[in-house]
Amino acid sequence: MGLAVGIDLGTSNSCVAVMKDGESVVLSDEDGNRTQPSVVAFGRDGNVIVGHRARRQLVYAPQNTVASAKRMIGRRYGSDAVQRVLQTTAYGIVEGTNGDARIEVGGRAYSMPEISAYILQHMRSIAEKATGEIVDQAVITVPAYFNDSQRQATRDAATIAGLDCLRILNEPTAAALAYGIGKGHRQHIAIYDLGGGTFDVSILRIEDDLFEVISTAGDTFLGGDDFDHALATHLLEIFKKETGIDMSQNRTVRLKLRTAAESAKIALSKATEVEINVPNLAHNHDGAPIDLNTKMDRIEYAKVVLPIVQRTFLTCDDALAQAGKASAQMDHIVLVGGMTRYPLIQEAVAQYFGKKTYEGINPDEVVAMGAAIQAHNLTEANPETASILMDVTPQSLGVRTIGGFCETLIERNSGIPTATTKTFSTAHDNQSEVTVAVFQGEARMADDNELLGQFVLDDIRPAPRGEIKIRIGFEIDADGIVKVVAEDVESATIRSIRIEASSGLSDDEIQTMRFDDLGF
Amino acid sequence: MDAQLAQEIEIETIAELLPELTYYQILQVDPLAPTNVIEKAYRGEARRLHPDRYARSSNEETKRLANQIYRAVMEAWKTLQDPDTREAYNQELEDGHRRMTEDAKKQAESAAAAAANPIHAAKTDKGMKFWRMALRNWHDGEFSGAAMNIQFALNFEPDNETFKEWLHKAKNAHEGEADEKRNPYKLRIV
Repeated sequence: MGLAVGIDLGTSNSCVAVMKDGESVVLSDEDGNRTQPSVVAFGRDGNVIVGHRARRQLVYAPQNTVASAKRMIGRRYGSDAVQRVLQTTAYGIVEGTNGDARIEVGGRAYSMPEISAYILQHMRSIAEKATGEIVDQAVITVPAYFNDSQRQATRDAATIAGLDCLRILNEPTAAALAYGIGKGHRQHIAIYDLGGGTFDVSILRIEDDLFEVISTAGDTFLGGDDFDHALATHLLEIFKKETGIDMSQNRTVRLKLRTAAESAKIALSKATEVEINVPNLAHNHDGAPIDLNTKMDRIEYAKVVLPIVQRTFLTCDDALAQAGKASAQMDHIVLVGGMTRYPLIQEAVAQYFGKKTYEGINPDEVVAMGAAIQAHNLTEANPETASILMDVTPQSLGVRTIGGFCETLIERNSGIPTATTKTFSTAHDNQSEVTVAVFQGEARMADDNELLGQFVLDDIRPAPRGEIKIRIGFEIDADGIVKVVAEDVESATIRSIRIEASSGLSDDEIQTMRFDDLGF
Repeated sequence: MDAQLAQEIEIETIAELLPELTYYQILQVDPLAPTNVIEKAYRGEARRLHPDRYARSSNEETKRLANQIYRAVMEAWKTLQDPDTREAYNQELEDGHRRMTEDAKKQAESAAAAAANPIHAAKTDKGMKFWRMALRNWHDGEFSGAAMNIQFALNFEPDNETFKEWLHKAKNAHEGEADEKRNPYKLRIV
């Protein structure tokens, strides 16, 4: 058995860590980089490069360079998530055979788990070079708000990369473990995790070695990119006001302004005022180029992104309400994710909780470090002394009932692993099939929630309606992945039914994608 | 004794006893214990019996049983932490059930819902006549008929909010029925 590591598979950056002599240690590549861009580039000769070298290719070969797989993992092609990404990428995105989104590069379509697998493989090889040992097991982190399909697809990515996935761990929970705050005391902490593409907040109760997540809430459509998008939109308006030219429909202009917005965001984390100069945005009547030149200070920037910051606090309100706690009852506030290094966010969060935020560990590395601790706990550590994590499922699990309503079977923020049963009966005389559609989400109407999949119980004996009773067991495992077990009470035939992930990969497909089979 | 063997024996013993244990016995508390005592006991048991403690066992059956035991601990706490569900469970115990049955759970949950029985929504006799027919249609799964009868009832009580809500529900249900038939999803069976 090889070494077990922790991998933070981020939207923008990824990081790998391992436990060494009781300490969680981030592993660097040969150039000393402690994190790697989550970018996969495909070369003309079919070779694949990942990380820093791949990001450099983003500039001159964007059509062969994939930088946003995590936004689309476990999502259907027609979903909002994929359609949004479609508008900003230079590479092709096509619909896979199972309705999933696939990336088309060099005449081949790659599934999202395959793209993520390349990143995992890269992190694994960094870990192997840094430690000189074989790495074959990993705890992989995901945003706490990820649903079943997204978690399943992440697990599939690990399998493709030839890694035994010990656990799919929630990012904020991993961060709490890395900080280890409150060991020996009883404390409540809030984890505010704002990354490149997602936002999570988790409320934990920590006592001695027991880490108990009380509630979690999140938004998988909120992250650093939204800040850049908001500023880019603002810059378009400024340009329109000054020149009378509306360039909002021009793709190149939008991309240029986005890059400028990101640079301004980074500059404003150090300076109080920045100049934004974007040359050659449009042409006047004589064909001469028109540039954008404007100044922006921290106060104005804060105004532009205020609606986004406020959205994160609505999510915090929700998590606190679910936990039955007030913001002032939190003993510590921990910041995680690249976006939280900006003073704007730090100040706003401190104000919201009425408390200075906890500092110490690099917000880009803390998640991987926590994952490494959990990997150690699940493999090497003495089970009597290892810390114990009690996590929750972020979204309610339900089935569609008469009238299209969603009947909740497992409520959000239930501890996992968990299970429940529900008895279904036939609604018509001699009904031979019962269809059960399984959803995740909080909406009253089933179709407003995320459809995880549906299954059919067939060959039911002809009988008057209501006479047949079929018991279905619903389980959510420690990874937050849903499993459904059906039992026809009468005939006692038990069938285990797994809900197909939106990634749409069958076990056979995953096996043929495995890198080791391809001699990768 | 080998640590794994000790774990296996412990888990197997608890799993064997489990069906006979009440929620109070699972958490090892007195049936009259106050909630804070039960909460403390729950944390202790959750820590002691957490499946992660058995993650490195090579015995798959031990892992499966550990999961099952942990879920029982969680279920016990979930039932006993709320005074209403605890009361309902105590009633179940008196009736000879060691676990909350699906029916009892539903009963505890629907006690409040029963108070808001929709049959009382009609305010006029004529409205009531069509409203009753609509509810009958609904019960039989005839959603288009239900929608039609609610429409009629609304003629007599145009401001009845409950009627309006159910009309919306009936229309949705009618459409949902058609949807279900053309849903493309198929599940994998392992």
